Amino acid sequence: MTAVTVKRPRQALSGRRIREWLTFLAFVLPNVALIVVFTYRPLFQNIYYSTLNWTLGSKFATPVGLGNYREFFASGEASKVLTTTAIFTVATVGFTLALGLGVALALNRKLPGAGFAQATVFAPYILSGYGVGLAWLYIFDPNIGALSAILRDIGLNSPEWINSPPWTLTMVIIVYVWKNLGYAAVVYLAGLQAVPAELLEAADLDGAGPVRRFFTVTVPLLSPTTFFLMVTTILSSLQAFDLLIAMDKLGRGSRTLIFDAYLTGFKEQSQAGYSAMLSTVLFAILVVLTLIQLIVVERRVHYR
Amino acid sequence: MNTSSNLHRSGLILDRRRFLGLSALGISAAALSACGGGPSTSGGGTGAGAVEQIDFSGVKPAKEITFWTSNPGDSIKVSTEIVEAFNSSQSDITVKLVTAGADYEEIAQKFQTAQTGGDLPDIINLSDVWWFRYKMNDQIIPLDSLFEALEFETDDYVDSLLGDYLYDDAHWAVPWARSTPLFYYNKEHWKKAGLPDQGPESWEEFDEWKTKLASASGAKFAFQFPALAGYAGWTLQNNLWGWGGGWSKEASFDITCNSSEAVEALSFLKDWVYKDKVAGVAGVDQIQDFAAGVASATVGSTGDLITAITSAKFDVGVAPLPAGPAETEKICPTGGSGVGIPKDISPERQLAAGTFIKFLTEPEQAIKFSEATGYVPIRKSADPATIVKKTPQAQVAIDQLPNTRSQDYARVFLPGGDLEMANHMAAILTENKDVQAEMDSLKTALEKIYTDQVEPLI
Repeated sequence: MTAVTVKRPRQALSGRRIREWLTFLAFVLPNVALIVVFTYRPLFQNIYYSTLNWTLGSKFATPVGLGNYREFFASGEASKVLTTTAIFTVATVGFTLALGLGVALALNRKLPGAGFAQATVFAPYILSGYGVGLAWLYIFDPNIGALSAILRDIGLNSPEWINSPPWTLTMVIIVYVWKNLGYAAVVYLAGLQAVPAELLEAADLDGAGPVRRFFTVTVPLLSPTTFFLMVTTILSSLQAFDLLIAMDKLGRGSRTLIFDAYLTGFKEQSQAGYSAMLSTVLFAILVVLTLIQLIVVERRVHYR
Repeated sequence: MNTSSNLHRSGLILDRRRFLGLSALGISAAALSACGGGPSTSGGGTGAGAVEQIDFSGVKPAKEITFWTSNPGDSIKVSTEIVEAFNSSQSDITVKLVTAGADYEEIAQKFQTAQTGGDLPDIINLSDVWWFRYKMNDQIIPLDSLFEALEFETDDYVDSLLGDYLYDDAHWAVPWARSTPLFYYNKEHWKKAGLPDQGPESWEEFDEWKTKLASASGAKFAFQFPALAGYAGWTLQNNLWGWGGGWSKEASFDITCNSSEAVEALSFLKDWVYKDKVAGVAGVDQIQDFAAGVASATVGSTGDLITAITSAKFDVGVAPLPAGPAETEKICPTGGSGVGIPKDISPERQLAAGTFIKFLTEPEQAIKFSEATGYVPIRKSADPATIVKKTPQAQVAIDQLPNTRSQDYARVFLPGGDLEMANHMAAILTENKDVQAEMDSLKTALEKIYTDQVEPLI
């Protein structure tokens, strides 16, 4: 008897659960199919290409196993490219977040023209990276650029922004931060406006000054925003190349992993197999970084 | 106990942050694969041997075709006029002009991806460093049977320019926007330095002039090397040949860039930058710098002629490239681009493409194109009088044509060879690196490209 009374509700539950599952599948399958076809199929195809010696456009390729990986890591190119990638990513993410927060604090005041200022700050973010790169290239040109004219006027020589690799990397970082700063500022501004005024007032009543209120109330409450911005800006920095190709045609100063993959695969060399290997290495780095962000960093985020 | 919270902690719920992270992961690796089908690993290249010409007998031309160009020398206006003239001259074929890139690199990139993604053009503008790769990859057709079917006057094309596209006894393109490097000089600076109104006969002569120019002109540089991307491998062939060297032996894949002659030629140039401090390297565009008075002299393409003359506020002098100590006759490389026809389109489209190419490169159109861009006339029978009347400096480019030499295989036939040359020259001219060490390293890189990417396919 006991077995029967237990079985009936299970059957009823099972029927409902099947209907729920079918509904679930009806909603999910089309999206899963799209992701499988357009994201994961190319991903696995790319891993396969990374084992070939293949010139892009050629109908034939030679399997080389892990030869492309061995060549990259044994040649010394890996350390150069990964170092450049790390410098570019840390610098662009760090400056974008720090300056973005600074600009957001400046914009978070009820001043006349605040809306216009917000739009102005955000505008570069929506411009084409290639166009921005070309425009800034003419500003940085050490011979005829606007910046060199200003430096000359104050008795200084322009650095060799274009022909000296360290200066080229600096130039690209400056322009990248300028372009993306508005994005971080607008997201931080939204975060700042969501900080409850009563908490700040309570801290004020407790005798906390503006600096203490900022670091003990505002910054912790902004941590979800900071986390969100870190995830998105790290991913976009690691995948940035339009601005780089416009400003550093030979890739001598700013050859990050994705830029190297682009230059090797799609420019003159057309080494598609080697380029696929670089993309796969980047993919592995992104997996590790994302896991670190999800597991470690998110635990330190304070949600209200 | 809150199940959602447990799932969240265990990482099983896909919230906004996880979605953001995870969805971006696949993107980086998808770029190449998104292009479409991959290669076969069971076959090989076309290999050497007799080239199979297409039989066009009985083929009727397609009604509509596309012409991909990167508008070399700001040629969009004149190209549009020529296309319109063709379309109105007959009613069988309509040509659609497509700007398929801002430069030779971009159009090549688009053409390469179109091989796998479809939507191929019918006529493609191909540069000197790209056409051989298309031939090697079986992406363009030999044109000789088309020349015959459409009765091209091949003898009327400038021999060296048509000869550039000859490989395996077949022609793979027709010359179109063809150029040579020229020596540009600022006549005002020349006058201030007390120099005769002409270019130097040899690089050693310019070596004597450079100090006078540096002290008298007030310019930042007596000489500015062109921006290295795209120019170093091309224009420096003149210097290497002048000293008896070359990137590779003439008409051979034997790499000679680290020979004593080549090292001597490049060391001579490096001294101008680091020892004499009278020369520099352009960052973006040497013609803009030259026109702004930054340098007294530079080297640029004939395709830069109109831009240089119209941008400069001084009289622009133009001269053939100087000779060297070993090759005492002035000699310079050909360059620029031609037009070819993709393989994987129908013979009807190929025939229509050939018909348009014949029109595009007829003397009348060739002159019109040269007049608008500064590129050299590609036909012997084309009368350059109108060009020279409008731009007298163009005569220098025309006179220089008999002194041209086809480029070294290492630059034009090795994929990425030009880029390697630019990078190694940048190390020498902008980072003061040792010439011999850089040329040894360049030789290794070029030989590897040959072994990996060329040898298996020829």
